[in-house]
Parts: sequence; C-alpha cells; structure tokens
Amino acid sequence: MNSIEKAKVLVIGAGPAGVGVATGLARRGINPVILIDRSERVGGVPSLYKRKPGGVPTFVLWTQGRLVSGEQIATHLTRELRDSKVEMCLETQVIEISADERKLTLVNPSHGRFQVSADAVVLACGARERTPVERGWIFGSRPSGLLFTKNLLDLIDLYEDHAASRPVIFGSDLIAYAAAAKLKSIGGSDAVMVDRSSMPDCSLPARLYFRRWAKPQYQGGAQAVTVAGTRSVSAVALANGTKILGDMLMVCGDLVPNTELALMGNLGVDMASRRVAVGSDYQLSKSGWFAAGNILGSYHGAEWCYFNGRRVARQVAQYLCRTDTPAK
Amino acid sequence: MDQTSSWQGNILYDWPGEGCESSLKFLDSAQLGPQPYDVVIVGAGVVGCALAYRISQFKLRVLLVDKNFDVGEGSSKGNSAIIHTGFDATPGGLESELVTQASRQWPILAEKLKIPYDPCGAVLLAIDDEQEAQLPKIHKKALANGVDDVRLLTPPELKEIEPNAPPDVRGGIVVPRESIIDPFTASIAFAEVALANGVDLLLGASIVAVENPDAAVKTLMASSGKRVTTRILVNAAGLGSRALADTYAGQPFDINPRRGQFLIFDKFSRPLVRGILLPVPTPQTKGVLVIPSIFGNLIAGPTAEDLPLDSPDATCTTKGGLEAVFDGAARLFPRLKGQLVIGAYAGARCNCSQGSYLIRYNDHHPGILSVIGIRSTGLTSSPALADYLIRGLVDNCGLKLQEKPEAKDCRPEHRWPGWWRRPFENGDLSKWRPDYGRFTCTCENVSRGEVIDALESPLKPRTLDAVKRRTRALMGRCQGFGCLVTLAEVISSHCGIPLERVTKNGPGSELLTS
Repeated sequence: MNSIEKAKVLVIGAGPAGVGVATGLARRGINPVILIDRSERVGGVPSLYKRKPGGVPTFVLWTQGRLVSGEQIATHLTRELRDSKVEMCLETQVIEISADERKLTLVNPSHGRFQVSADAVVLACGARERTPVERGWIFGSRPSGLLFTKNLLDLIDLYEDHAASRPVIFGSDLIAYAAAAKLKSIGGSDAVMVDRSSMPDCSLPARLYFRRWAKPQYQGGAQAVTVAGTRSVSAVALANGTKILGDMLMVCGDLVPNTELALMGNLGVDMASRRVAVGSDYQLSKSGWFAAGNILGSYHGAEWCYFNGRRVARQVAQYLCRTDTPAK
Repeated sequence: MDQTSSWQGNILYDWPGEGCESSLKFLDSAQLGPQPYDVVIVGAGVVGCALAYRISQFKLRVLLVDKNFDVGEGSSKGNSAIIHTGFDATPGGLESELVTQASRQWPILAEKLKIPYDPCGAVLLAIDDEQEAQLPKIHKKALANGVDDVRLLTPPELKEIEPNAPPDVRGGIVVPRESIIDPFTASIAFAEVALANGVDLLLGASIVAVENPDAAVKTLMASSGKRVTTRILVNAAGLGSRALADTYAGQPFDINPRRGQFLIFDKFSRPLVRGILLPVPTPQTKGVLVIPSIFGNLIAGPTAEDLPLDSPDATCTTKGGLEAVFDGAARLFPRLKGQLVIGAYAGARCNCSQGSYLIRYNDHHPGILSVIGIRSTGLTSSPALADYLIRGLVDNCGLKLQEKPEAKDCRPEHRWPGWWRRPFENGDLSKWRPDYGRFTCTCENVSRGEVIDALESPLKPRTLDAVKRRTRALMGRCQGFGCLVTLAEVISSHCGIPLERVTKNGPGSELLTS
C-alpha cells in the first residue's frame, strides 16, 4: 500500500480540461500519463447534467453546431479516454503535495494510501459555486432547503419527483438561469432570482434561450439579504423590507476556482481571490506544475476547457522536451 | 442475559415521520421500563451530558432527555470552543471556582474521553497605551484566580510567541494553559460513556408538563403525550430552562439568548497564529478574539447581542454583526485582512438577569433541581459543575450514591474522531476498508467509511447536522457544495431512510420539503 508510482505526467481532474490534457499528451506519445479524479465518473461538471425526457440541453458544442446535454459530453470524453493510452484512476483523493519534488500522496478505495511522482503535474480541478458566506451579502439562518446548483443536479439524479413550489435563486449568471430552467422542467414553479446588480449577470441571448423553459422573475439591487426559517427555509428578506416567501433556496453560479491543491503546494495563489497566476506557457510558480481549464479563473463552457487542455498539453510536451535533453 | 447488555442504556428518538428507522423510535413509555428513574436530566447540552457521565459512575437509574435530535444541539454547539483557565474571572464566585477546577481536569479528561484537545495557550495583546496600562491589573487578577503560570510580556517576548502579532504591539500577557477543544465531541463523548454505563437517552422529546411535582415520584409528559416517571428532576435545559421551570412553577428568573456571531477562516490561514489571541477587555465587553480551532481553521468572534427569549433570530448572522467581528479581529490582528472567510455562525449563550450559575435545589418542590444561567464558561466548567451538582443532590435532595465498580469512565481508542486520527494514516491494514478510501467530503477528507462509523456509533445519529459534527463533512470550505447530497445518500442507504426524508436537524428539516 505504500508503493511509489512513477508517471511522466499526472493530470488532476477528469473534466473536459483534464481529459483534453491527458489525451493530448497521449497522442504525442508521452506515457505513462495518469489521470485522476476524486469522483467516481469521468466528465466533471458536464457529467452532472443528465439527459432526462423534456430536459434542458445546457451545453453548446460550437464545433458541431448543436446543443447537447452534459451527459453526452461526458460520454464523448469517456470514449476518447478509452481509446487512448491514458491510465485512469477514479475515486482518488490528493492528501499531500511535495511541490518541489512533484510527489503527491493519494488515497483511493483499492490502493489505500500511495504516492505518485511525476515529471509534470497538471491541475485541471475546475471551479465551484461560492458559498453564501463567501458571497458576502447573504445572512440569517442556515435551515434545510438551501441548495447549490450541484446539489440540485445530484438530487435530480437520485430522486426523480422533486419540485419546489416557491424556489428562490441567489445569483443571476448562466448557471443560475440554467438552474431556473432545470427547476421548471422537473415540474417546479418559476423562481424569483435575487442578485446584487440591477441587471442579470447573464447575456441576453442566453437568457432568451432559457425562456423556452422558465421565466424567472428578476429582483436586482439586493445588497444584503436575510434567510429566515428555523428548520426549513421559509422566506428571504431584502434590505429594503421586501419579503419573498420561498420553500427552496438555490445558491447558484458565482464561481471560484478550486485552487486548494495549488495552495497546498504553495504554487502562487492569491489568498483572497483564490486565483492562480500562470505564465503564457500555463506554468505555475514552481517548475513542472501547470493549470488548465476553469481553474484558471475565466469561466468557460466544456468545449473551451477541452481545447484549452489541448493547448496546455502542447506546453507540457515542450517542457518535458526541454527538461529531458540536459539529463541525457 | 449477558452483563454488558444489562448495563448498556437505550437510545430512543421521539421522532414523528420517516427520518429515522422505527427500531430507534420511542413509541411507548414501556420501552423505558416499568420502574421510575432515580434521576431524569432534561437538557442534553454539555452540562446535562457531563452530569449524566459523572452520575453514571453510580448505581442509579438515569434518563437524559432533550428536545433536539442530537446531544449538544443548543448553546453547546455555537461557542468559541475554548477551555478557559478562568484567569480573567471575578475571583470568589462559584463560576470562577468551577472553571479553575475544571480547567485542570480537562487535559486528562479529554484524553480519556477521546476528545480532540490542544493546549495551545493564549496571548492577551495590548495595542495602545491605555490597554498597556491595564496589563498589571489583569495579571494580578489572574494570580488571584490561582492561574499562577501567567506572565507579563515585553513586545520582543511577545513577537517570539506570536511572530505575526501587529508590529506596534505594546505588550501582553501569556496564559499558557488556555486551550482549544472540539466542542461537539465533548457532549457526544460524555453521553456515549453515560449510555455505556446504563443511562438511557431520549432525544426529540420536549417535556411540556410535570404532572405531580410535589410527589416523591413525579410524572413528566413529552409533547408527544408519552410519560416518564422520576424521583429527581434536573432542569439543565439551557435556554429552554425557563419554559421547563414554568411547568413546575419554579422560583422566578429571567433568561434570554445572548447571541455571539463568529467568522470562520480557511485552514490556509491557520499558520498565522500559534495560539489564541485575546484583546484587552473593556468595561463593556470582552471584545473579539482570534481563535485557532481544533479543526485547523481560524475563528474570530464573538459579538454579544441580547435578544428576547424565543427569538427566531438567536442563531442568525447579520451584516452588522459579522462586520463588527471582522473589524474587531482585524484591529487585534491586522494580518487577517485579505484572508478568506469560508463560513459564519451564530450561537446563543444563556444570559440570566439574576446572575450566572444560579443553582436551586428543591426549587419550590422537593426533588427538583434547576440549573440556570450557565453561560459561555459552561463548556469548561461542565465536569466540575457535574461533581458539584451530584454533591448537592446528595446533601439537599436525598440522592443516595452507591459505587458501581464496573462503570467505565473513558471511551475506547477507536472512538477518536476520524478527522483527528485518519483511517488512511492508521498503519493497521487489518482495519482498512475500501470505504475509508472513498471520500464523501473532499474538502475535509471525510470518507464514506467514517460516515458509516458515525451512523453506527453509540448515539445512532441520524441527522445531517449530527453526522456533520461527528465527521466534519459539510464543514469544509465548500460548505456542502460537493457533499450535501452524497452525505444524505449514505445516511439514506445505510439506515434505510428515504433520501428525501433525511433531515438536517430533525422532523421539519427534511432535505426536500415539498
């Protein structure tokens, strides 16, 4: 259980960006490339958006000129991985990092605790939704019925018949509008959407697209909101005295990059914003460490992340070339 | 019948609905046996649990009751998690006596009960002339309280202890034995040992009537209509003690929740301090502290806001409150500016207008003990308070103590919380299960195996909050983004509870309300 595995490249995160990096490297003949993910499936965020009858296609593949479900993207990525020489390692959690030696301690169900050292490591850890407290404008109690978009998607996956009769959404970006459409498509009502800015933080075309499923009522200019309810959510009070009754509270969008591993390795992360600084070669502050996809902090769709992964793979390959030559 | 099962108490939930399996449900008073209890303790906060733990060392029939669906759900869960030395208490009172006593018991007790505990020490910082002038007085008071290891510090000495202290600090006092503890495991551990020694636990039962308070055997009625009988009733219901005292018309007292709001900083901020940072208190307030948590975060707080009894806002955070905490903490310790806040919470301590630590034996009726106004020091004082109360019950209420040599006073080694002793760091591979490598919560590295261990633990916790306090799942920087539904799914599949019926903290807080 305490063996040390050697990899040429270790890629962390099997979402679109991570798969783009891993398969890009494998195509260049680099091996072994190990791709790990903490979840039990390939596909990252898109894999959460399951295809359901009457469901909402939330992803656009511009290269193919069509709308697809996230699940279709995940299937695509899985197939591509299967056809490559990438070694896949799911349900694997990073516990420790020795950044200078590029040695990582991992734990998974079958191996327990083990170590991997690599010539290069790519962080493709994506992003998550900011918590109510991180947003800085949500106060009050913390009753049940307060969900992130990811929780809703997990729930829809496990439990079919859920529908909220009075959903309230915090946030107004693309993810928030997609969540409103999801809620409606599973039989719920139109949500009241609350955010700080006077206009929604989502482009007009995207808003028009989601109008096919839902017409959330936008309530802008909320500088401080208070959640009420002792056991479950009962209402949301705005600073101006407006009270919105609700039985479910969605905390949507407003992403923050998952840079915890970069922080663990002291790889140059700004503590307050959680952003990493990368050069034009996508390299982090220590040599042999790279970042790809939405962890970079400019949030894009699955397709952008995948092709960004490919660009990073090119940089990693060049780096390996440079560092290999003097050694020989 | 083997001996162990005759000592082991029952854990029962008075739980309407489907959030808990029926084998754990309190359906009939007969489940508690035909004999009246010798002692019923109402309130399973840290005070009630500590009393149950100490009293379980004797041959007595004891029941611990709480209206919540886990132990330690009230004031005991939202505090600063410090074990005080009592260096700044007003000397001479019961509170300071119990705190001073208990603070010396905790290091051994925590080890016995497998409660994570860190004697990290505290430093009181004076940041201007006025505060500096106060230091000798505080030092003298600490010595009068018997805390003889405190020391006045010059700025260079202080910088040696806390290298990140503000550069213009004038001086300070070091209090080496101020410690931090896992406040949740404290109540849980007390209750688990009590249970193992034969104390019964009834959770989710709100006592709404005492039917014959003057009789030798009193009948208590829960809101569900079921009854329990007892010779001695101990009211340790914290903020619920007023409502309970009304049922037996105890002597008048006034209590209200004093709200304390706290900010939680990310674990990456923890290395900024070595121990607890205390401000110089003013006549109005003790001020905002910066406290490392035993879990590896930094905490700042509290506020002190008096709210009316039964206010629904007693555990709500507010914009003004959290801003005041941040400003206060940043004044004491400017390095906090620019650090990431991952969470906030508000706790309600019990404030009593007639004074703290009001203890009334035979409160208007023989055999009724009211324990009122145990404020924030209760976490520290609880073991000493429990001993004090037992002595008092013997002297005043005719409680007869008979030693029980087989009684346990510690928890087994494997009950250290998983986050404190990681299963994957344990070299003993025979205990390894694949579920220990399957992470439910990836912020705090809590495995599915640890969640199942928690569900199987003696108190059989069934709510998300109860599992959270035992495992740390949901408590990390993503605050449930990743693991809320996965955690509910583990509870659901392991206990056979429908997923949508899994609750946050008992009936009425189901995952899905519709």
